[in-house]
Amino acid sequence: MPLVVRNALIALGITLALAGTVAYAVNYLNRARIAELSTIEDQIAIDTLSLDTQFTLLEAAPCDSTASSTVLTGELAGLGERLVYTENQLGSDNAQVVRLKKQYSLLEIRDYLITKELATACGTKPVTVLYFYSNAGDCGDCDKAGYALSYLHDTYPALRVYSFDYNLDLGALKTLIAVKNVKHTLPAFVINGKNYYGFTSLADLEKQFPKGALATSTPAR
Amino acid sequence: MSPEMLAYPFLFIAIFFESFVLVTFLSGPARFARGRPAADSADRAALPSVAVIVPCWNEALTVGATCESLLALDYPQDKLEIILVDDGSTDGTPAAMARFSLHPQVRIISKENGGKHTALNAGIAATNAELVGCLDADSFVEPNALREVIPCFDDPQVAATTSAMSVHAPHNFIQHMQNAEYVFGIALRHILASVNGLYVTPGPFSFYRRAVIADLGGFKHGNQTEDMEMALRLQRAGYKIENAPRARVYTTSPNTLQKLMRQRVRWTAGFFRNVLGEYRELIGNRRYGALGMLVLPLTFISIGSGILLFFLMLFQLVNNSLTALEIRAGIPFSYAFLPHISFDLFYFPSGFYLLLGVVALLASLSLIAIGKHISRTPGRIGFGLISYTFLYGLIAPLWLLRATADVALGKHRPWR
Repeated sequence: MPLVVRNALIALGITLALAGTVAYAVNYLNRARIAELSTIEDQIAIDTLSLDTQFTLLEAAPCDSTASSTVLTGELAGLGERLVYTENQLGSDNAQVVRLKKQYSLLEIRDYLITKELATACGTKPVTVLYFYSNAGDCGDCDKAGYALSYLHDTYPALRVYSFDYNLDLGALKTLIAVKNVKHTLPAFVINGKNYYGFTSLADLEKQFPKGALATSTPAR
Repeated sequence: MSPEMLAYPFLFIAIFFESFVLVTFLSGPARFARGRPAADSADRAALPSVAVIVPCWNEALTVGATCESLLALDYPQDKLEIILVDDGSTDGTPAAMARFSLHPQVRIISKENGGKHTALNAGIAATNAELVGCLDADSFVEPNALREVIPCFDDPQVAATTSAMSVHAPHNFIQHMQNAEYVFGIALRHILASVNGLYVTPGPFSFYRRAVIADLGGFKHGNQTEDMEMALRLQRAGYKIENAPRARVYTTSPNTLQKLMRQRVRWTAGFFRNVLGEYRELIGNRRYGALGMLVLPLTFISIGSGILLFFLMLFQLVNNSLTALEIRAGIPFSYAFLPHISFDLFYFPSGFYLLLGVVALLASLSLIAIGKHISRTPGRIGFGLISYTFLYGLIAPLWLLRATADVALGKHRPWR
């Protein structure tokens, strides 16, 4: 066999092996990401359940546990950022991503309910935003709205933002949408119980918040 | 289909070619070429007579140093002549040449301006040396360079030999980038020569059997790339083109983007016009081995992919920038446009496209390291690697695009 042909065949083999290795590495890293997200979700689920159980056992508001609740909300936000990144990498229709999103949405709803119960029992006034978006191409302003909310959350850490994929097939989420009477006009916001639709600018969004709510010293509880 | 999908075949081909080159580097013929000792200058009887032709057109600033470096070659004086050809210069070139008029090894020819190929032919006509070489008047050689070249002609089928070019005293970012590219070229030329895959015998210190050149009718205009045209003609005639990887020659490189563009557009357009014109039969022709089946087709593909990937990158850059700007509209500048740096392995970029690109880049950097090692080219190359990595892919498509447009539109540009 001529040297050129032999070397070309070897090179082809090396190229296929390299492409295969890269594909395997990409797949491995993505699986590792999913596994990490699962672990974080499991941990947050345990912490949420623990806080919920603690709350029930005491039968009165354990107001000193609001700190734990705030930490949990922060962890949820971090998990949400990772989930968005993973969704961008693997696609919205990836089965693993959908499963993680459902689990994440459940945790968010649970955290939202605990926050509300603590607020009622302890007399605090946290500012909460339920944000409904869609990745199905029916929400042209969702990217802008999401970025504006990230800015608000990073600037005012006391603000509790809960993001939900409106089209996610999850019973608890559908119930939340029904209970809050959220229409399919996206992006949609429920700011301290009041519904608001569409996104034009950060300034307009800020106007929807209660007076004084967006201050760096806003008490969270 | 995402735009990235379009790039996959080209990335795959790039990695295939780099793998081929690296495998061939380890093969017997390339190993033999690297181990070939330089000619012994004391063995006068075995050494052929050599003439080095220096074609000059307005090279007053550098021709003196070029000639000095040739006179310093470690080669018997009675077997080496230097022919300075003034191709109708309008600057101080004749005066700069006149300094060597009494030197016994130097001959000066003055003629009307007719282009580089006519200057080379005038030099060839004036000598009976067995081997004739060409050295551009802005290039300088190492003293042992000629001794490294001579053994390449031991094989009677070899009609030409190329040397190991790098950039003379690179000063700025663009010259450092070219230096890395030239050193990459040293490896590539060495390796492809081992499978007779060269299609250029560059102006700086390439040598030819004078009888073969005379047989083939001397140099032609060759679409402003007479060195490429001659190499293709030699290949078509069934000769081999060798490479001497330790025959170091340093050439002055363009120091501005504009000058670099002009040079590279000339080279690329010359490639198109020569290969698609008179030498079309070489493409995909098994008779011409690695050159016909791999090197020429892949050179066309690399030009096409360079242009395509550039537009893809540009499209994605513009698209992403517009999206980012749109999303950030109305958000305070300090938050929206200042980086939020936090190192987290979770966000480590790991896309298929990116990682394949990294593999291709690493293979290129390996070839640069190989080129530097086998040629023993002095000087640091770190700055060159950085500029090559980050700059080359951005500006090379510009000259590829302009050359392609020139050829398509039949536009011809002046040499300088």
